[in-house]
Amino acid sequence: MKVGLFIPCYVNAVFPEVGVATYKLLKNLGVEVDYPLNQTCCGQPMANAGFEQKAVPLAERFDDMFKGYDYVVAPSASCVAFVRLNYPHLLEGKHECLTSNKTLDVCEFLHDILKVDHLPGKFPHKVSLHNSCHGVRELHLSSASEQNVPSFSKIKDLLSLVEGITLLEPEHVDECCGFGGMFSVEESEVSVRMGTDKLNNHIATGAEYITGPDSSCLMHMQGIAKRLNKPIKFIHVVQILAAGL
Amino acid sequence: MSTKHSKAASAFLEHEEDSRWHNQSIWYVREKRDKMAMELSEWEALRDLSSGIKRHTITHMDQYLEQFSKQAEANGVIVHWAKDAAEYNDIVYDILSGHQVKKVVKSKSMLTEECHLNAFLISKGIDVVETDLGERILQLMNIPPSHIVMPAIHLKRQQVGRLFEEKLHTEKGNSDPTYLTQAARMHLRNEFMTADAGMTGANFGVAATGDVVVCTNEGNADMSTSLPKLHIVSMGIEKVIPDYDSLGVFIRLLARSATGQPSTTYTSHFRKARPGCEMHIVLVDNGRSDILGNKAHWETLKCIRCGSCMNTCPVYRRSGGYSYTYFIPGPIGINLGMLKSPQEYSDNVSACSLCCSCDNVCPAKVNLSEQIYRWRQELDGFHKADPMKKMMSNGMTILYDHPSLYRFSLKMAPIVNHLPRFMVYNGLNAWGKGRELPSFAKESFETLWRKGKVK
Amino acid sequence: MSNIRKNISEVYDQPDLSIKGVQYVDTLEQFVGMSKIVGAHVQFVKKGDDINELVHRSYPEAKVIASNLPEITIATINPDKVSTPQELNGTDVAVVKGEVGVAENGCIWIPQTMKEKAVIFITEYLVILISKSKIVNNMHEAYKAITFTDYGFGSFISGPSKTADIEQALVMGAQSARGVTVLITED
Repeated sequence: MKVGLFIPCYVNAVFPEVGVATYKLLKNLGVEVDYPLNQTCCGQPMANAGFEQKAVPLAERFDDMFKGYDYVVAPSASCVAFVRLNYPHLLEGKHECLTSNKTLDVCEFLHDILKVDHLPGKFPHKVSLHNSCHGVRELHLSSASEQNVPSFSKIKDLLSLVEGITLLEPEHVDECCGFGGMFSVEESEVSVRMGTDKLNNHIATGAEYITGPDSSCLMHMQGIAKRLNKPIKFIHVVQILAAGL
Repeated sequence: MSTKHSKAASAFLEHEEDSRWHNQSIWYVREKRDKMAMELSEWEALRDLSSGIKRHTITHMDQYLEQFSKQAEANGVIVHWAKDAAEYNDIVYDILSGHQVKKVVKSKSMLTEECHLNAFLISKGIDVVETDLGERILQLMNIPPSHIVMPAIHLKRQQVGRLFEEKLHTEKGNSDPTYLTQAARMHLRNEFMTADAGMTGANFGVAATGDVVVCTNEGNADMSTSLPKLHIVSMGIEKVIPDYDSLGVFIRLLARSATGQPSTTYTSHFRKARPGCEMHIVLVDNGRSDILGNKAHWETLKCIRCGSCMNTCPVYRRSGGYSYTYFIPGPIGINLGMLKSPQEYSDNVSACSLCCSCDNVCPAKVNLSEQIYRWRQELDGFHKADPMKKMMSNGMTILYDHPSLYRFSLKMAPIVNHLPRFMVYNGLNAWGKGRELPSFAKESFETLWRKGKVK
Repeated sequence: MSNIRKNISEVYDQPDLSIKGVQYVDTLEQFVGMSKIVGAHVQFVKKGDDINELVHRSYPEAKVIASNLPEITIATINPDKVSTPQELNGTDVAVVKGEVGVAENGCIWIPQTMKEKAVIFITEYLVILISKSKIVNNMHEAYKAITFTDYGFGSFISGPSKTADIEQALVMGAQSARGVTVLITED
């Protein structure tokens, strides 16, 4: 099984350590991982802003770049959701999208494909889990609080394999943090109020860290935490899972 | 960059205590809905059925409307057809003036808001009295509703108290909700007793029997129609449903979704006029049949006007109904507004973080967030795309289409980390209004990889 | 209409509606519990009880009692016999008969059996008689069971009139009955 690593634009630029952790973890679990060069972006920011046509060349490049791999894995729930849900219709009329069905978020990949049941690391800290919207409602990483369905959480399953961790969840367990791509600047006051409320809910759990599958949400809340001088720390799920590596 | 919504939302949020209270009050209704949903193991199955029934009915709307009107007419009800708001207002006025009506009491109908009926009738000299407590409060204050089910949710009891002191001569300084509700009861009782006609909306119209179903908690639709001799029903054509088996599904979903109750207090079925009285139904199109032909957006016709989408919407809760330029706010309002007039109502399309929570609560499974995403794609075609967003998207496209240029920009980006604050945090930086910028990594992932540092 | 026909493209079939809906182990108990939750008082009428006595005991101050039911001998006004519905204003207690009770939400189906239905809504307090053999589990079952009279009106009523329009504070007795008593009869 050959896995192509997709590193989203902002992970590349702002949180490269998330990419590094993803690579290390997959290699540690015996996966053959490759990182094709010249990656840029999945196109979600433009598409959500209303310019999905601009994402078409990116979709074409992505499909071409990754078509040879068995799986494409990325440490970003929202980017993966965008590829899976939108690339087929973005490429409609040109050719069948070869990669959308095999593009997975790293948590999904670990949970559903590798079926990881053991992790080497320790993370003896209190951690509050941020259930990013696209992860919950588009990738079904966990059961949505609105729905009467059996409760599940792939991320909690994975994190509980890490020794020493105390896993907590905030009230309003999957309410949006307010990032929303361009929403964060177009409706910045609402976005900041949403982020502040969410941050406060996380802080109220008593956690030292906020973690989640989407660095975009974390980046937004981190920006607010810094402005408000809150000492809480931020870390991507994959970094916790790769602890010690 | 800003839209009318974002500006209004910003003003709303400046009242910190009130905006927090608004958010909490409405979240509480979402929680009540959750409790109801979790108590019925068949909840998700009901939602599937509801969506299926609506899709079927809407795509056979001509047959069901024909059946409905035939049944109603066989029951002695007079059925009228209005193709748009103007025709609707004229029809209603004709019926009322034909009966020399001076005063109408009416129960809630968003359709009448849509067609601006009240203002029209008042301009013709007919007194219109809203009888739903929330609507009456707003009518006396001369302000519009801010939510389709809980129209006065944004008001504090003190505001209502002061209003009633002035208009209903209640005790000074008394803002106890029970006291105020009692005062309204007395006042409205008098209106019911002296009205010449009663108007209601219709939650559902049952094709198989010609029933008009009206759901209220106060009983005001029933009071409006039990005393005056004339009853006029205003019904959007998308409200028709096939039969009682279908109706059972919707009645089980409606109040649970809207207010977190297992049922409204009154679920009344109007089939015939009272003896010696008249009952009219005005079926209104006003753009609905056009929506039918809109491949991307016809599913908004499934909406049963429960309001649960706005209750869950994190943006609505933090911006309030008045931030939206269309009279219906929240996720469904964004979509309905664009269907009414993309030119006029495009400001609301920014009011969404695409969190998809609305999709999960909608009892009719309207694909709200997907439709909002679609409208965003269409904005540029209407010349309504925000120029700043367009510029940013164009900028990103250039970078992302040219990997070497992108890599170069990443190399340069960390400079921002070290710029003096005044250069970074100023009016041009919308991100910086409430947050610190993230630090750009000294070495991007790709750089690390190329240097062999990723092992 | 032609615009409608013109615009329909893809059609959908009606889904299978044979949903059973929630079934309760003790339907009567659920009905009683829900009735109380929605704000009604519930009393059981045992064989030999005098309904008139029960009504009087529940509402001892009541002066104007409206009903067209022959067994309600304490009625002082009959909604079949008034010339205008406005005459029923000032009714303290109205006694009506329900035909179907619904356990999932405490609703009782009351078809119009009197000339002026205003009596049901204009009264200060409403007493609803319902036979315990006529209580069903849920609205699917209810909609299969309800009937109409020639008057062509009926309403599912669940507790007293209520509103939460002022600051979400729940208040009973908005426009209609301030209180409801459900009398569950043996027959």
